[in-house]
Amino acid sequence: MNDRALQDEVIRALADAPYRASAEWRSRRLADAGQVERFARFLARHFYHERIVHFFKYSRALARVTARWPVAVLRQPGFDALLATAVLGDRATARAVARLVMAYVAGEEVPYHGDLLRYQEAMMVVEAGPRVWSDTGHGDDRPAVAPPELVEGTTLLELEYDLPTVLPQLLQPWTTPPDAPRRKTRLLVARSRHGRVAVARASDAIVRWCASPTARARWTTWHARPVFVPATSRLRCAT
Amino acid sequence: MMVGAFYNPHLGAELAAASTIDHLAMADPPAAGDRHWPAIKQRYTLLLHDYLGQLSEPLDDRAIERARSLAGLYDSPWVAEHFQCLHTEDGTYNLNYVFPPLYTEEFLARFVANANALKARLDQPLVMENIPGFFDVRASQMPEPIWLRRFFDATGTGFLLDLPHVWLEAHYRGLAPQAWLAEFPLEHVVEVHVAGVEQDRDLEGPWIAPTAPSDAMLDFMVHALTRCPGAKAVTFDAFSPSLTADVLFASVDRIRAAL
Repeated sequence: MNDRALQDEVIRALADAPYRASAEWRSRRLADAGQVERFARFLARHFYHERIVHFFKYSRALARVTARWPVAVLRQPGFDALLATAVLGDRATARAVARLVMAYVAGEEVPYHGDLLRYQEAMMVVEAGPRVWSDTGHGDDRPAVAPPELVEGTTLLELEYDLPTVLPQLLQPWTTPPDAPRRKTRLLVARSRHGRVAVARASDAIVRWCASPTARARWTTWHARPVFVPATSRLRCAT
Repeated sequence: MMVGAFYNPHLGAELAAASTIDHLAMADPPAAGDRHWPAIKQRYTLLLHDYLGQLSEPLDDRAIERARSLAGLYDSPWVAEHFQCLHTEDGTYNLNYVFPPLYTEEFLARFVANANALKARLDQPLVMENIPGFFDVRASQMPEPIWLRRFFDATGTGFLLDLPHVWLEAHYRGLAPQAWLAEFPLEHVVEVHVAGVEQDRDLEGPWIAPTAPSDAMLDFMVHALTRCPGAKAVTFDAFSPSLTADVLFASVDRIRAAL
């Protein structure tokens, strides 16, 4: 095993709690187990702090009336319990953390709260998963008219309220929470190979196509359409 | 000696009006809707301190173009990158937090080659920041300061000395910070980072925090600067939505007063 592969082992041990507990990792005796565990827990709290701040920003804005701040879950027993099985960047872990946040901030302060939580959960879950860090070929820079491609993890959200009309307002100053029109709305949430999350309104054609990913219908790719939420998920690597 | 801080967009109004700060380090590009950005750009010397990648692998054209573009936008006197390797080669695992490489011959060769390649594509000098290790990995072949010295000798890049990182490593090794610092190649230092530390519950010890530097940290900074003849800037290293204007300005004032 070369040094780069050894470094990957250390990174995996810090990111992947079950692997960290495995005989395979422990038998390597590469580092003090107690220190690795403490640093891994520190990293996990930091990792999900950044994601909760980013993806649950609308719940954070609503905390002005709910007094329930999404990041508070990071100091609650439910999150501590999750640390024993957490795998940073894994979709199941992202969903489990998002569910902790949803359970904590849920309420009826606004009628569209349920939709809002599902939307934020979808963003956080879709962002999870392996990503490409270095471009050796073509990826996000494909031509605007390139054929559509169904990316793993793409989610179709069926909402009762037209959330896109209210999301920007939630982040502006307000005294009473803004209203959202009650109108069936379908949103497609997907991410690029580099982990950038984008959201678009889903037309019937897109819904049909998503249900049949082998189809190659000649309609404009949703990649090329304006995205109504600047939902980039380039999360900072803190120093 | 320039004394500055990081650009924290939520403090944009205060920073745009401030007169006691010489430079701002830019951790993120300015947001499209940042109404303070034009004033910030006009008012300050800006230092590119974005996350470009990890030099254990070659930076691709896209990352290099991003670095060139941001350095041009900021008119940055130098470009900073970190001694870090935080995601696996296949992209499956990502720590999303600075993490040092193994201090081995293989990693030294990788970082030297990739830093030289990046340097050749930039119009500004490249500086590299040290990253703290909370624990030692037994596969490392040499102490971090030796590895860094060999890197700087081989590349001619500048050293962005993060003092709290050195202080923390000394703490967790049971060494005096001044003694551990003396091992580092300080003649290459171009910029120094100073910050506060706080107790962390998970680590059961101190770690970097968006808080003011202590008197002890400022004394450590003064001590370090007497050994860094090429240092041109000291930056209060705090970038967080929880950072308050009071802490930022008071920290910069205390750093300036200590110099």
